[in-house]
Amino acid sequence: MSSRARSYWAGALARLLPLALVLAAWQAASMSGLLPKAVLPSFGEVAASLGAMLRSGEIVPHTLASFARAGAGFGVAVAGGIVLGILMAQVRFVERAVEPVLLLIYPVPKPALIPLFMIWLGIGDFSKVTVIALACLVPVVIATFNGARGVDEMLLWSARARGTSERRILWRVVLPAALPQIAAGVRTAIAVAIIVLVSSEFISAETGLGYLIFSYGGVGADDAMLAVVIYLAALGYLLDRLYLAGLRRLMAWHAFAH
Amino acid sequence: MPSLTEHPRLVAALTRVVPVTLILLAWEGVTRAGWVNPFVFPPVSEIAMRWLALLIDGTLCFPLWETLWRALAGLGAAIAVGVPLGLLMGRVRWAEWFFEPLFSFGFPLPKIALIPLYVHWFGLFSLSKVMLIFTDCLFPMVIFTYHGARGLSQIYLWSAQSRGTGRVRMLWRVVLPLSLASIYDGVQVAVVVAVLVAVVSEMVSGGSGLGQMMIRAYRHGDVRTAFATLLTISLIGYALYKAAQWLRGRLLFWHVAES
Repeated sequence: MSSRARSYWAGALARLLPLALVLAAWQAASMSGLLPKAVLPSFGEVAASLGAMLRSGEIVPHTLASFARAGAGFGVAVAGGIVLGILMAQVRFVERAVEPVLLLIYPVPKPALIPLFMIWLGIGDFSKVTVIALACLVPVVIATFNGARGVDEMLLWSARARGTSERRILWRVVLPAALPQIAAGVRTAIAVAIIVLVSSEFISAETGLGYLIFSYGGVGADDAMLAVVIYLAALGYLLDRLYLAGLRRLMAWHAFAH
Repeated sequence: MPSLTEHPRLVAALTRVVPVTLILLAWEGVTRAGWVNPFVFPPVSEIAMRWLALLIDGTLCFPLWETLWRALAGLGAAIAVGVPLGLLMGRVRWAEWFFEPLFSFGFPLPKIALIPLYVHWFGLFSLSKVMLIFTDCLFPMVIFTYHGARGLSQIYLWSAQSRGTGRVRMLWRVVLPLSLASIYDGVQVAVVVAVLVAVVSEMVSGGSGLGQMMIRAYRHGDVRTAFATLLTISLIGYALYKAAQWLRGRLLFWHVAES
């Protein structure tokens, strides 16, 4: 292991230490009786509960259900948002037509749309996926628009001077140059998707991690409820890390663009 | 005849207003023409009338007040706790070592998932909602304050130190004012979070407020009231965001980072 890698791991461990201290304090407080089980089960019990859920496979179908909902909404939003953002940056008319609508839905707390969409589309998955898509669309469109609008004029001129067609410029110049901003918008959308997913599963669902948290909470099974909360948080964290790692590989070239 | 191009501001205003007006007119037209079920998708004018009616007869006022005070109480508590903590993290080594990883890990986690736990701890009523809003808003407040306090130019600190300013006084009289721009960015993020969490927690665990009003409208299949409530929620979010922005302009006109 190189010294650079070693110092990276040492830094990561030093950052994990406070977290470990908090968990240890939690466990110690539970074991000494300072923290009654009725208030908060011990960390050990929560971990055991999570282990049992993973072993029995109970959590798997709920994970898949949540993933399907969030993934479908998020996927539609990313694809549609990038297309719409680029169109807004390229075509004046589209910008003028879409911008006011965007300003109108921007301040709406998106989970508040859930009941309305449940009236329109029923209480099934379709209404949840639609609200998740709408919520994720906003950050992606805005980031893509800003990114595509802010493309260095020099790059466009030099591409045009070589006779590159407008369509090719879009694919080979505008989209790559806007990529860092698009990537930031997509990252926001991941977090938004999880929040709207959990809210919608709290309000009405019979599957999914939000439903699992809510139903365990409802019967007072705090250790199982916290186990799912921690599992969900870990999944969200892992997704974010994976996304960042993938992005770093995808955009290794981008440092040269500046 | 004066051409439109001579009035660039008028054109700009028109391009902003015309698309929204067209959408609203199309909405009105389609629903009036009977192409869609008016029960499921009512005309926009009827939604506006319902909103006015709910506002005038007072049905909207109490839930509005409930949501607003919960959001502001949670936000206020998050500012009161988050700003000192962020300043401490920005200027004191051990505080940074301990708290920075906790808040970095916690920031992206969906705090909304804690609603059942908070109901268990703080009851079904307002306290659990205010506490959840507080928890969720604490993260942006701490992180923005911390980044503001950390990125200060040393020169201000040195000049205060050379005059013998004490450590606590330094935090309040030098570090805090210089971090205000960043703190206000945090407030603007937290305001949006506060309204969102207030509404979601009311939707999930009741206790009046606009969130519960929305759910009740859904149960009755009352799209007009649901829309009117949604409009009110959006207006609150927008008004609070604008208020934070306005306050920032008023309070930070002197700020070094602004000029």
